[in-house]
Amino acid sequence: MKLYELQGVTREFKGRKVLDLPHLAIESGKIYSLIGPNGAGKTRLLNILAFLDRPTSGEIDFCGEQVTYCKQGLLALRRRVVLVDQYPILFTGPVWKNVEFGLKVRGVARQARTDRVHEVLSLVGMEDFFKAEAEKLSGGETKRVALAMALAVRPEVLLCDEPCANVDEENQKIIIQILDRINREQSTSIVFSTHYLAQGRSLAHGELHLEHGRLCVKSEQSQSLVLPVNLNHGQLH
Amino acid sequence: MDLLVDSIRSAFLLFLACDPELLDIVLVSLKTSGMSTLIAALFGVPAGFFIAHSNFFGKRLLLTILNTLLALPTVVIGLLVYAFISRRGMFGSLDLLYTQTAMIIGQVILVTPLVTSLVLAAISRIDARYRKTAMTLGANDTQVALVILREARFGICAAIIAAFGRVIAEIGISMMLGGNAKGFTRTMTTAMALEYDKGEFVLAVALGLTLMTIAFALNMLFHFFQGRIESEVV
Repeated sequence: MKLYELQGVTREFKGRKVLDLPHLAIESGKIYSLIGPNGAGKTRLLNILAFLDRPTSGEIDFCGEQVTYCKQGLLALRRRVVLVDQYPILFTGPVWKNVEFGLKVRGVARQARTDRVHEVLSLVGMEDFFKAEAEKLSGGETKRVALAMALAVRPEVLLCDEPCANVDEENQKIIIQILDRINREQSTSIVFSTHYLAQGRSLAHGELHLEHGRLCVKSEQSQSLVLPVNLNHGQLH
Repeated sequence: MDLLVDSIRSAFLLFLACDPELLDIVLVSLKTSGMSTLIAALFGVPAGFFIAHSNFFGKRLLLTILNTLLALPTVVIGLLVYAFISRRGMFGSLDLLYTQTAMIIGQVILVTPLVTSLVLAAISRIDARYRKTAMTLGANDTQVALVILREARFGICAAIIAAFGRVIAEIGISMMLGGNAKGFTRTMTTAMALEYDKGEFVLAVALGLTLMTIAFALNMLFHFFQGRIESEVV
């Protein structure tokens, strides 16, 4: 099933075309890596896929329905898709308050929120940080909490902008494991951007190569998912 | 020098005796200043938020007007409001002149631009990723606004404290619209001016000390909030 279908999508910034995608289809339930150099338009495309930005022209279908960009429609769509920023920022306050944010705005009951916060913090290996002040976390810990915030709302689509950038090797492995696991266990569709070809190939079912805002190659990997040999699944709870 | 020392000593005695006139004046000052700051905050905080987060035609002009209003002399506001609420004015029938309400109206006009400007500055400093994060996590417009206001809370508090400090120390509006009526519209600043005119320095010094103590406490609060903001930025 097609998750996204973009037709003639362009995005202009200060009169310059920064994204030009005649056609792009993304399948549901798969992991896609978005590969390209700096300035290729990866973040801008992720923002469009997250419905946080709208294209200058073109049409987007999400799950077979055309995106209309009306206020209520956008809110409903944003509640199905979550974007984790390249440099995530956490709200001031404890980690648990950050993680429950998405649930709270959806009106989820307190006990259910608390249970879910424990569950996702455990998933990202940050359960010990439940009461920790968010501003005191390291870069890698912040990324994992940001991932927990996104996963707490059980999104249909998880978009990650450079999830492994600026974090140490250990955190990179953990993040990759989490993405793989939620795709396998919850069938969450994932699109993540990366600079690293090897990282993209190790995790993704499909690759999207962007250069100067244009799609160069779109390849589907038919073989099953191959994780790096040094990943330790035992680290996940 | 003796005059000043004697006045300070007598002023302390007034404090210790809880002089009713002194207390009355301080209470009127706190009441009118508190009320006008509250009303200015109710207008200024949403206005500052709206201006910071909107792009509209004439925004630059509005910011220029807002900055100009920061320099508006209290006597000009006094004259303006007087023209509306005096017997011959548009709202003369409401009998507002020389009442605390009139003082509050004038003071609200004085500090609303100040609150708006400072809140605008505080909100503009908030990292844009807070908004983006709240939006992608499914927050609606109101919930996003609450997130931003929460993150800017120290800056907003500092804006309100600065406004209260401005309004409690003003004299032009209180004198022109309040009329300095004893026990009713006499504030610390208008009472000080009156006592000075009469050559009675004791009460004037006592009120001056009270005003300075309040100003000191406000500045301590202001620096506390500023410190919190800076430590967050670092």
